[in-house]
Amino acid sequence: MVTLDTTPIQEWIESLPKNQAFETLEKLKRFNEVLFTDPEPEVGQTPKEVIWTKNKAKLYRYQPYKEKTNKVPILIIYALINRPYILDLYPGNSFIEYLTDCGHDVYLLDWGTAGYEDRHLKLEDYIVDYIPRAAKKVLKTSGAKEITMFGYCMGGTMTAIFTALYQKKLPIRNLILLTSPIDFEDAGLYTKWLDKRYFKLDNIVETLGNVPSDFIDFGNKLLNPLSNTVGVYVNIASNIDNEDKVLNWKLMQKWLNDGVPFPGEAYRQWIRDFYQENKLINDELVIRGERVLLSNITANLLNIVATRDNIVLPQQIEPLNDKVSSKNKTLHVVNAGHVSVITGKRAVAERYPYIEQWITENSK
Amino acid sequence: MSQSSFDVFALWKEIYNRTESVWQDAIQETLEKKSFAESLGQIQSQYVQYQELVNKMTESYLKQANIPTRDEIANVASLIVNVDSKIDQLEDEFDEERERIFKEIDALKKSVASLEKKLDKVIDLLNKSLETTEEPQTSVAAAANKAVSK
Repeated sequence: MVTLDTTPIQEWIESLPKNQAFETLEKLKRFNEVLFTDPEPEVGQTPKEVIWTKNKAKLYRYQPYKEKTNKVPILIIYALINRPYILDLYPGNSFIEYLTDCGHDVYLLDWGTAGYEDRHLKLEDYIVDYIPRAAKKVLKTSGAKEITMFGYCMGGTMTAIFTALYQKKLPIRNLILLTSPIDFEDAGLYTKWLDKRYFKLDNIVETLGNVPSDFIDFGNKLLNPLSNTVGVYVNIASNIDNEDKVLNWKLMQKWLNDGVPFPGEAYRQWIRDFYQENKLINDELVIRGERVLLSNITANLLNIVATRDNIVLPQQIEPLNDKVSSKNKTLHVVNAGHVSVITGKRAVAERYPYIEQWITENSK
Repeated sequence: MSQSSFDVFALWKEIYNRTESVWQDAIQETLEKKSFAESLGQIQSQYVQYQELVNKMTESYLKQANIPTRDEIANVASLIVNVDSKIDQLEDEFDEERERIFKEIDALKKSVASLEKKLDKVIDLLNKSLETTEEPQTSVAAAANKAVSK
């Protein structure tokens, strides 16, 4: 048997002078490791317990044994696209960890991964059958009299609809929306690409059943094709010797490539009623026979806009503040993108404390 | 003297930055064109047609091979989901009923407690009235005793 002893070669490489060419070689080696051989970082590490399940959905309570100094629990509703661990990405870079460490009682409704059998689930099924029950479970588990609802992206749109429908039935004290589209009059490139004349929505839903995550991801990447394809690799290559940046890059890549299928009927409703017909802001959206009036919302409102967001544009978010009846309403504009609004160094340093303080002040 | 060297990453970044600044506007302009949306729609239609063909072929093969199709497996899964949702509903109803019973028990406890208080008062009053009726009786009995002894 022939064996190749590479030790002399290794020793020879190590004996080479540490010049720039050698550093480049080292960087190339590291770049290769990051792309192909390094293990994926562990995400969603904040301790949690499941307090309720329904179909594929799970309701988590975070750090249940930690002392809760804030009396109003927070229920986070995530989108039907991608996974919610972006809110609990990594220790020290986790919105949920930050809130629980500050004494808040945090719950998250994770929709799970829709199967082919869920292709008939509509958006209204999630809003009427899942969210109110989850809110009741949160109130019961925490023993609280009121609740804070927190929605991110499309989850925020669903949360706003839920609040409009259930404001009088459930004690919703605060409503926090993070880059959540409400007005679809001008959704940028999506308005053009999802035009009824070109985008064959019914054919897509009927053929695919559930819409695959790659299909949705393709549309998102197309918004900025160079930056989202070549740019991400150039970015990591130029920061390959910075371990913090490498870790963040790996975390983001893991999350971006870990999408979930969008239940077919919910996708049809989302594209048709929102992007194509813009029903919500015009009080034309009907959920299980009930008209959704955003003016029914009286909860304290914190509406967060990210100026560099190219997925949900600022003009899609801002009009909500004019529609609601809340006496206490804040439109908070931050210089961030759709994801960097809630993850990364600036989010940890600026956004987390701001949101936490707002919740604390409005929960007394 | 510094050694001249070749940094592939620096070169890559330089090429990318220059390319991006040149192409960005042109790409963005293209993406915004109506014709682009139209082409995108056509590509989607072709993709859907292809997918439909694959679905039909797969389904027909699975049926011939006597293997359950995706629809059939999904139907079984739906039955499980339905059972899950019924259990969830039962759990909700059970919780509501339990809450109602606990409330009723609490109300019963309160009314029993107030009944006890009322009974205590009645007993107190009875005792007092007994005491007042016993006093004149004892004085009458004493007078009678005196008369008998005389």
